[in-house]
Amino acid sequence: MIIFASALRERRAYRDHAGPGVERAREGDSEVFAIASAGSICGDYNLILDQVAERDGLEALVLVDEDTEIADPDFCAKVRRALADPDVGLVGCAGATGVESVAWWAARVSAGPVTYRYSEYGGGEIDTFAATRAGSPPAEVDTVAGYLLVLSPWAARTLRFDEELAIGVGFDLDFALRLRQAGRKVVTAELRVIRHKTLKVVEDLDVWVEGHIDLADKWDGRLPGAPPRPADWKERARLAEAERDAARAHAYSHYSLLDARVAPLERRLAAMTDTFGWRLTAPLRALNALRRGDATRRERDEPRRARPRTG
Amino acid sequence: MIAFGAAITRPDVYRACAEPGIRRAAEGDSVIYAEPSAGTIFASYNALLDRAAAHDDLEALVLVHQDTEIMSPDLCATIRTTLADPDVAVVGCVGAIGVRSIAWWEASVTLASFINRYEEYGGGDLHSFSWDWDEAPAYARAGEVETLDGFALVLAPWAVRNVRFDESLGAFHGYDLDYCLQVREAGRKVVTADFRAIHHRPLQMLPDPDEWVDAHIRLAEKWDGRMPRIGRAPGTWRERALRAEAERDAAHAIARSTALEIEARTAMLEHSLVETRTSISWRITAPLRLFRRRIA
Repeated sequence: MIIFASALRERRAYRDHAGPGVERAREGDSEVFAIASAGSICGDYNLILDQVAERDGLEALVLVDEDTEIADPDFCAKVRRALADPDVGLVGCAGATGVESVAWWAARVSAGPVTYRYSEYGGGEIDTFAATRAGSPPAEVDTVAGYLLVLSPWAARTLRFDEELAIGVGFDLDFALRLRQAGRKVVTAELRVIRHKTLKVVEDLDVWVEGHIDLADKWDGRLPGAPPRPADWKERARLAEAERDAARAHAYSHYSLLDARVAPLERRLAAMTDTFGWRLTAPLRALNALRRGDATRRERDEPRRARPRTG
Repeated sequence: MIAFGAAITRPDVYRACAEPGIRRAAEGDSVIYAEPSAGTIFASYNALLDRAAAHDDLEALVLVHQDTEIMSPDLCATIRTTLADPDVAVVGCVGAIGVRSIAWWEASVTLASFINRYEEYGGGDLHSFSWDWDEAPAYARAGEVETLDGFALVLAPWAVRNVRFDESLGAFHGYDLDYCLQVREAGRKVVTADFRAIHHRPLQMLPDPDEWVDAHIRLAEKWDGRMPRIGRAPGTWRERALRAEAERDAAHAIARSTALEIEARTAMLEHSLVETRTSISWRITAPLRLFRRRIA
């Protein structure tokens, strides 16, 4: 039996995203187990583990973030194939090797058909791993994305999420690292998943920074892809502060790129629509919009696919 | 006499950018040093200091990057007014206070009277906040600062004859902050003044991040404890290292988010363009546009 479980912070998100996905993926005997979030994600997931890990017949425990929609009708079969290797303890839809920090997505990513669906700018879908995808599943990795974790019965019964990481940033990486320390494997599988989220990679940067520090403090020098750093803390601080400022300058350059790339398109659009002819035909478009109301609504509910680009 | 100097690695860039600006601002008796680079900007600028220092009647030396175009024809008058204060040693049009490192733009920028003119994506201008005083924010003001952006520096005769660019620091980065710190340590003032320039440069701020990181560290080591804030931060060295590494990765995440935003906005606009171009409204008004083009 494969159990699907979620900790709900926003019921609506579960209803719209995780819930329909679980219904699509579950089998007849699957148990669906949801709890109201009681605080940190580590605490929530441990509560779920305490409740379901000892169930008879457990084949896998699928922990689904409420914004994650499983879009794969063969999900359970694929999970069974991934867990056929008894050494596999954790399966995900996206993961990475050479991980240097909680920002695992910046390492060498292995990800299958994981789609990010956003609502900004009229909505759309984007391949968020276009720049860092190094390969496709199946692959053994250092860690997998925490928004969809498939635990083997051994992992569900033996390991717990580290509640000392109070902020919860990097809970997935920490779990995967401990699982690997215990001699088990972390792998990616070709699971079709839709992530419903904003275009922001990190929602709350200040919180994320604190969580990053917590995890670095715990795993300092033992993260699999961490580049050699100076042994002397003063040298390391000087280097890190310089790298931070360089990264910020790089981020500023991206803002400039945003302006530079978008501005010509906006000018072209304005040149087309700020015309007498376009204003003259406004009633015609309004009438058409009314006439096609149903079709427009259907189109709006089916967001466009943005062309993935790299670089 | 107000002299002008530039260190040139690309004559075509100098001819297109710096030279027209210098001609716009120079006076009849101005001496212009358009010299090939001496290897590093530190060495090149020191060579220019030596040449300018030999002039007994030197009033100021204006140092511009080869890609910097001065846009103020009244620059010389502005220089004379600003250097009337004998304590003023260096003048620029972009400066900041609260500076902690060569990333002076991370501090509180008080004046930024320049345009970044780029060629990417068909070219364009990014206006800094005090380019147009009518739109400048409340914190925009000319006056004393801690450092200047080195793309356009005006040096008083005292600075030309007494302060050297520190050639031990590297090839390029940090020469401006270090020079300003030396001047301030000597008890003189660094100030911004109301003149404008165009910086013709790509959008990527740091094309050579490794060199920049090295310079950042060298500057911090040189000035830590000598001037307030430079190279300083709260916490132990361990705490500073872990925090800076986290903030570095957060900055990378911001860049990544912005890249995604570019994709999303571009996709939306391209979709709107196609939708507009293929609409009935656009097609039936084609004769109107044709008519307007003919009478234009």
